[in-house]
Amino acid sequence: MSRLRATLAIVRRHIDRRYAIDWAMQFLLIGAISFVFGRLFADSLEIFGIVGFVAAASVVDRQHRRLLRRLTFFAAPLFGRQLARAHVIAPACAALSIPFAYLSGAALAGRALPANVSLGLTAAALVAATISLSSAFREGYRAALYVGLAGAAALTLGLPFELRSPHPLALCAALAALEGFFALRAFGETLARYDPLPDLEPEARAPSTPVAKPPRRASPASRG
Amino acid sequence: MTVLRALGARFARDGRELVAPFTLTLAAGETFSLAQPDAAGAAIAARMCAAIVKPTEGTIYVGEYETRLQPPQCKRLVGFVDAAGFEGDEYAFKCEVAFRADVWGLDARAAHARGRAVLEALGDGPYARGVALALVPDVALVVLDRPASRVVSRVRALAPAAGILRTR
Repeated sequence: MSRLRATLAIVRRHIDRRYAIDWAMQFLLIGAISFVFGRLFADSLEIFGIVGFVAAASVVDRQHRRLLRRLTFFAAPLFGRQLARAHVIAPACAALSIPFAYLSGAALAGRALPANVSLGLTAAALVAATISLSSAFREGYRAALYVGLAGAAALTLGLPFELRSPHPLALCAALAALEGFFALRAFGETLARYDPLPDLEPEARAPSTPVAKPPRRASPASRG
Repeated sequence: MTVLRALGARFARDGRELVAPFTLTLAAGETFSLAQPDAAGAAIAARMCAAIVKPTEGTIYVGEYETRLQPPQCKRLVGFVDAAGFEGDEYAFKCEVAFRADVWGLDARAAHARGRAVLEALGDGPYARGVALALVPDVALVVLDRPASRVVSRVRALAPAAGILRTR
């Protein structure tokens, strides 16, 4: 099986009608917010922070966590790194709606951002979404830490613009590539280590079909 | 030919033993029933045998591959059916068949035909759909998590050469 076929198979499994609707809704909502409130955020660092945190948060909603944890992906003959690469594509495309919406809203309000800041903002959303993906396989404060880390990484991409460095876009792209590389590696390791366990409450997960006989003993039973 | 071999496989989480050590050998064409004291233990044992969950201790081989070291190779040989079956609608089922055809490198049309044939034999329902998806690729081992007895006999008829492991 080619790598491309496996990747496309997973991406197709992620992208359905609901995905398209979510993308459009996210775009409209962020666009409207940017159009109305965009003038409050003149600072590049603020804009990078907002886009980064929203992109990170968009990846970790409950529905998306459930989709990523589907047993079908873990029962398929795929390596963790293959799964990681393929899992990143759909959320990254979804996260792109956030900078695109922000930029569109700002442009409609007559405050269009420079092209290099727009590209940096797009990179920030991609990096934040990639880092945040690891939180989908963690619980509690560990999951929250990844979202915080994703937002912070997006903020660092805004620093070259904020500090008016000589080549801000090149610096931003180099930082994004570095952060994205480590985020993808970490996500692959997260997937390789993850054990998709059922609900561990004894009676919470009843079988959907009747079982032939009640269990008689804990250890391996008879041949049947 | 041995399709599944477990040697003292055990699963524990946070100091709590969820699956007690078990040892078994399953040959092609045989059926093995693995009993566990609760539903979570049965589900985890099934997932361990399908190379989805790694055992905390012990070793499990599917064919000649070790589940902890070579999970993709193991999974290629296994058709796994979760206790809940496949709960998606018809559209989701078709997407899932297409996904399996792509991942297992099968002809898409043949995979859909195989899925439909299994569903016709088993009757529609979440568990039947789960079995149909598991049998889309030509697998050496079928792992059924807490199936009904009639399901096991029908799966045996559909995949006579495969080893079948059922948990209960």
